[in-house]
Amino acid sequence: MLRTKLEPNKQSLLNKIHIDGYLLLGLLALMGVGLVTIYAAGGQDWHLIQRQLIRLGVAMAVMLTLAQIPPMAYQRLSIYFYVVGVLMLVGVLAFGVVGKGAQRWLDLGVFRFQPSEIMKLAVPMMVAWYIARFNLPPRTYHIFVGFVLVSVPTLLIAKQPDLGTSLLIASSGIFVLFLAGMRWKLIGIIAGLGSAFVPIMWFYLMQDYQKQRVITFMNPESDPLGAGYHIIQSKIAIGSGGLEGKGWLQGTQSQLEFLPERHTDFIFAVFSEEFGLIGVLGLLAIYAFIITRGLLIAMRAQEAYTKLLAGSITLTFFVYVFVNMGMVSGILPVVGVPLPLVSYGGTSMVTLLAGFGILMAISTQKRLLSR
Amino acid sequence: MTARSVHAKQNVAPSLVHWRFWVVVGVILLVFAGLTLRAAYIQVIDPDMLIEQGDNRSLRTRNMPVHRGIITDRNGEQLAVSVPVQAIWADPKTVHSADALSDNRRWQALAEVLGMNVQTLRDKVADPSRRFVYIERQVSPAMADYVEQLDIPGVYLRDESRRYYPSGEVSAQLIGFTDVDDKGLEGIERLYDDWLTGTPGKRKIRRDGKGRQVEILEEEKGEAPHNLQLTIDQRVQAIAYKELKKAVQYYKATSGSAVVADVNTGEVLALVNSPSFNPNNRQDVSPHRVRNRAITDAFEPGSSVKPLAVLSALEFGTVETDSVVDTSPGWMRLGGSRVYDSRNYGELTLTEIIQKSSNMGTSKLALSVPKSFILDLYYEMGLMSDSGSNLLGESSGIFHERSRWSDFELSTLSFGYGLSVTTMQLARLYTILGNGGIKRPLQVIKSETAITGERVLSEENARAVLEMMESVTQEGGSGTKARVPGYRVAGKTGTSRKAVAGGYGEEYVNIFAGVAPVSNPQLAVVVLINEPRGELYYAGDTAAPVFGSIMTGALQLLNVPPDNRRVSSLAVNAQVEVLDGAE
Repeated sequence: MLRTKLEPNKQSLLNKIHIDGYLLLGLLALMGVGLVTIYAAGGQDWHLIQRQLIRLGVAMAVMLTLAQIPPMAYQRLSIYFYVVGVLMLVGVLAFGVVGKGAQRWLDLGVFRFQPSEIMKLAVPMMVAWYIARFNLPPRTYHIFVGFVLVSVPTLLIAKQPDLGTSLLIASSGIFVLFLAGMRWKLIGIIAGLGSAFVPIMWFYLMQDYQKQRVITFMNPESDPLGAGYHIIQSKIAIGSGGLEGKGWLQGTQSQLEFLPERHTDFIFAVFSEEFGLIGVLGLLAIYAFIITRGLLIAMRAQEAYTKLLAGSITLTFFVYVFVNMGMVSGILPVVGVPLPLVSYGGTSMVTLLAGFGILMAISTQKRLLSR
Repeated sequence: MTARSVHAKQNVAPSLVHWRFWVVVGVILLVFAGLTLRAAYIQVIDPDMLIEQGDNRSLRTRNMPVHRGIITDRNGEQLAVSVPVQAIWADPKTVHSADALSDNRRWQALAEVLGMNVQTLRDKVADPSRRFVYIERQVSPAMADYVEQLDIPGVYLRDESRRYYPSGEVSAQLIGFTDVDDKGLEGIERLYDDWLTGTPGKRKIRRDGKGRQVEILEEEKGEAPHNLQLTIDQRVQAIAYKELKKAVQYYKATSGSAVVADVNTGEVLALVNSPSFNPNNRQDVSPHRVRNRAITDAFEPGSSVKPLAVLSALEFGTVETDSVVDTSPGWMRLGGSRVYDSRNYGELTLTEIIQKSSNMGTSKLALSVPKSFILDLYYEMGLMSDSGSNLLGESSGIFHERSRWSDFELSTLSFGYGLSVTTMQLARLYTILGNGGIKRPLQVIKSETAITGERVLSEENARAVLEMMESVTQEGGSGTKARVPGYRVAGKTGTSRKAVAGGYGEEYVNIFAGVAPVSNPQLAVVVLINEPRGELYYAGDTAAPVFGSIMTGALQLLNVPPDNRRVSSLAVNAQVEVLDGAE
């Protein structure tokens, strides 16, 4: 990299305010792509851009604030976070606000709040805290407890129902266990149990609309005017982009409102249509850059807790990217997962950048703690 | 492992976890490679189908609506017009989603105004997956208004046009008709469909997901629909139809056709058939009524082509106009067959041969010239080709091309057997006789430029034969009932037996063809009565009076000056005197 020579200066400057320059660069690039694409997908509506900018500002502030907190503090707070989060999830089920067919919100008077977002960070923190208390690699018993810690919020969220988020949360916890050195034999057993869990999920946890999504995913043409419409339209939008794309604001499928959810979950289709395969490769490169940086931070972390937490946050981010792109390009069923930092939308953006705030804290404050 | 567990709890074995990290990195790389491949597959390797699908969703070619052109007669009288009407259609999906079916009162009202059973109506919109169903086409503006007032969700109106034929059954076969989508199905409507509809303007547009037009990609200016003017004179047409219809009923005939043509231009002024049909209401119309028999049906013309035998002899020069032909003893044997007259006429002048319609006379005349000469004459007179009107389905008759014609066959040809012609062909033949020997195609479509004909007969001989044919309508002729008061009329009857399998049957075809006024011929009229089943079945009794009525009406309507001073009618006399005074 060209920037290697500049690194010491920059690093030291940014380090003082606990900012990881590489991460910041990648995140800003993504946000830029997001704004440009939202402008195209949202019918060139400046209000959308303004609202997104406000959200980005808030989320950035959260990120920078969290970056200032020493990782040790996170470690200590993990258990309280987790407990409060689970209690709120129970609260949601008991007296949550129903919106868009699911009970996901807690009405706190001033604003509505989605406790499942907290759990996206609280679960990996909790599991990492628990596992890091013992010697690594963890024993089977510890792994089992870890799984229990993961499944309680996962099931609560799946019940709301919010399949996408519950899968993301489950994976964030499992990543911790995996990175902690869970034995392959155990992984095999868990995978077996997991596949046994699929029918249970199908018959007891999944709502009809979710089942329909899976059926539609298997064969979108079976219902081209109904549930398959999203997938078919989005594949058409991506495909009509070709190698070089149709150009910004020139995408017919997205501009002409053939594509549903085009500035939120399906924004990747708009991006692909307008910027083509070259654009897609560029976007994937930015994501790869951020993920690589996240994994490097994890590898360089000197404590088990920070290592596991950083790894889990990064991998969960990766899962976001994979699930969203996979669903929009038709290789995964449609679950409501936004394209991180590109899709229009609030709550998940704050959580994501909060995660990166923690990553930055881990990246910039390790020396203070360990040496 | 156990050794390591002794380490302080924050002292993680880096190698182990790092190894895990590399697995993770590998998996991530694989997944990104997979996503890239997927995108590449969709976008570059196999995008054509998807691009096409994308265009299918957004590109539309829309035809701009046009109103079909008007068909008028030569004087601008409207024969076919398009009137704006509306179609009622429904979007069953909207009907269902708006729960419109629950309001039975309005459906009942809709069914009543359309004269439909309410259940039939509800069945039409029963399938909620459909998006377009016609409920009723071509409803009047008043009815459309009522439907609009009903305001049933999912039931809509759309503009269309309906063809209306003011002349009704009079010109039905000639004009033809269109289908419900305004496409010409029969007659002139079909023949000139492209001309009448023009080329509708096309617009290639991009539309958005809600069906709104976003941009116009290409615009193809269509050709505006054209009006069409016919040579038909609707007044003459009406007279011809009225007389023909009356005759067909009175003589209990199967059908009848009549053609009126201008001998000097070849323009057809009237072309009618009976029985006819109402083109404005074509329910339960049997196909035989739709057929334009005057151009499709060929008959043996019988005596009506006898003047050709006289002409061929005159043209070749075997006789002079004052020659006399001995027809006694009234019969002769040709090969194994006999040709005979109804009685022995003895010596006949050429005029008498035509007047008495002597088979012996025409046979002798026909046999007096070389075979190829008389066949060529028949050809020149248009008996082997269609009339040139270009009308759809026009027959060119039956005229066998044989290398060898026997004498008997030639003699039958001279009195109109052994060949079949249409009414239209016969009309053309008589225009040639009438205009002094110039052959032109018969025209139905009015054109600016006159067609220069081709001379096929010497004017002198054509003129002479016409004068001879006048004798037919004079005292002692077979066609006295074809007389027109005040005008000199030349014509010829033709009563032929209809050929059936194995010979000739009991059915007759009655033809009267003629030209008037003889001193300055203007019109040729051919009347054909097919299979009269009443007591009268000779052309002189059936076709001749129809001819007379049509010719009378046509001459008067066209203000043709009378040329016959020797008339008994006082009224006409007075008119003639006035004209004489003017001269």
